[in-house]
Amino acid sequence: MRIFWVLFKKELRAFFVSPVAYIVLALVMVLSGFSFRAALSVLESAPSEGSIVTWTFHAMWFWLSYFFIFPLLTMRLFAEEKKMGTLETLFTAPVHAWQVVWSKYLAAVFVYCVLWIPSYLNFRFVDWITVGQVEVPEGALKGSYLILLAMGLFNLAIGCFASSLTSNQIIAAVISFTISLLHFLAGLFIMVVGRRVSETFVDIINYFASMEHIRIFTSGLIDTRPLVYYTSFALLFIALTHQVVEFRRWRP
Amino acid sequence: MISRVAFLRLGSLNDGPFVLFTLNTISHMIEVQDLTKQYAGRTAVDHISFKVEPGEIVGFLGPNGAGKSTTMRMLAGYMPPSSGRASVNGHDVFQASMDVRRSVGYMPEMAPLYTDMRVKEYLRFRAELKGLSGKTLRQRVGDVMDQCAISDVRRRLIGNLSKGYRQRVALADALVHQPPLLILDEPTNGLDPVQIRHVRELLKNLGPKHTILLSTHILQEVEAICDRVIMIHQGKIRAMDTPENLTRKLRAASIVQLELQGKGDFIPLLEALPGVRKATEDGVQDGWILFSLRVEARHDAREAIMDLCLRQKWKIRELHWQLPSLEDVFVELATTEAAKA
Repeated sequence: MRIFWVLFKKELRAFFVSPVAYIVLALVMVLSGFSFRAALSVLESAPSEGSIVTWTFHAMWFWLSYFFIFPLLTMRLFAEEKKMGTLETLFTAPVHAWQVVWSKYLAAVFVYCVLWIPSYLNFRFVDWITVGQVEVPEGALKGSYLILLAMGLFNLAIGCFASSLTSNQIIAAVISFTISLLHFLAGLFIMVVGRRVSETFVDIINYFASMEHIRIFTSGLIDTRPLVYYTSFALLFIALTHQVVEFRRWRP
Repeated sequence: MISRVAFLRLGSLNDGPFVLFTLNTISHMIEVQDLTKQYAGRTAVDHISFKVEPGEIVGFLGPNGAGKSTTMRMLAGYMPPSSGRASVNGHDVFQASMDVRRSVGYMPEMAPLYTDMRVKEYLRFRAELKGLSGKTLRQRVGDVMDQCAISDVRRRLIGNLSKGYRQRVALADALVHQPPLLILDEPTNGLDPVQIRHVRELLKNLGPKHTILLSTHILQEVEAICDRVIMIHQGKIRAMDTPENLTRKLRAASIVQLELQGKGDFIPLLEALPGVRKATEDGVQDGWILFSLRVEARHDAREAIMDLCLRQKWKIRELHWQLPSLEDVFVELATTEAAKA
């Protein structure tokens, strides 16, 4: 466990010493500001069903930031060490592969959580500034950040896995970008063809559709299915990453 | 191809007789039995076996791609052997990888480092990974920085350091947990002559307490610091001996290059000289004829050649005694050993 903390500290340090964390943080701050403003203007223009939480997470700006976070946070993790050859020094020190994999993954998760703090503060501030004029439903807010965390666990695990497959950061980034894009497009696809296909088909696709998950959770419902889906796949991809990293030791 | 001129000798050969320290342990520091590694259909290491006793400094000598690095990676616990066995400090490299890694200080080729870290920070990180903490950690990090002469750059970013410094940071990392065995892959690669001498002195002084296995493709290096040399070529061990014996073998055939002008039967006359095995004409360069002569072991034919030229009234522009390149030596060793077998 001590080794894990040493590695975890080093990974976190790597995020905040390089400009990566700051660039992503700035990007997410700006885009969540935009999506928040978009939500406010929706509420301003006409009475609507959704709350401010719903509209914030349905804004185009939100999805724009969503796609860029995961590749930017994870592409470096293994690919860089492979390219520089430091994986060799790392694995000739007495460290286990699981310590390396989990420290890298959890460091990325930690940074990911930090990224959403400004957006959360937006909701708190609007409540404070307008003295409760704008209704911020507590349940929906908690649900939204819960599903965001679950999506983060999932996508970061995929990014981690992609990074372990290659020594080229661009390839790693493209793989993780593609997977999160596919999850978004599934929802868009249902929105377009929804009425014309069978209900079972819609249900199946919706099981993967990030947009649908966001819709459910931002309306204040907690559906356990997507939570199970995201976390179980996150574990699967972390296990796969572990296998890829350990493969070196088993290759005859 | 490495060709070397005889006068360029950096190592200090005249340091007196080697003192061999023998520790009272029964087991060998390294024991390798029929070790083989295959990469994508190619055999990088081909059934090699050798032993290293505690306290020895052993040099792995061979051209690039000979299998030195692969063998060292297997010994450091980075990759498993395809077949065969290897143990370090009594631990099997595959079964007890963690124990092996704890007893080995490994420095990979090219000295990979985290370029975004500062020197001291990096060494602290590595020392923590290797299980040091508190006062011992601080003391060891300070000690190795002094030992490797990198204290003056302790606050610099590794990415901004020169190759020589990086190499020594990697060496400091290998030393930091005081491992009984050091495995160093080309430790002097990329250093300037002064730094090379420094590192060699450092390794020599580590000698009694640490066992060292180092690889190199420089002959002088093994002559300067090693108790024993293992020559490896195309994945096979070609020779295993003390540097003195090996050097004698290596000088088996040296080459003398000549540039002459004049008349007469050059080749038969040159070949008639004592010790000259074969003379070949390499062509003509602005009126001068180029020759290369293969000369027997321990024969310095230069004087005889000079005398011959004077007798024949040939003009001479160059007379150059060249040691064979390592590649030539390996080929020769391989063929002579095949002939013996």
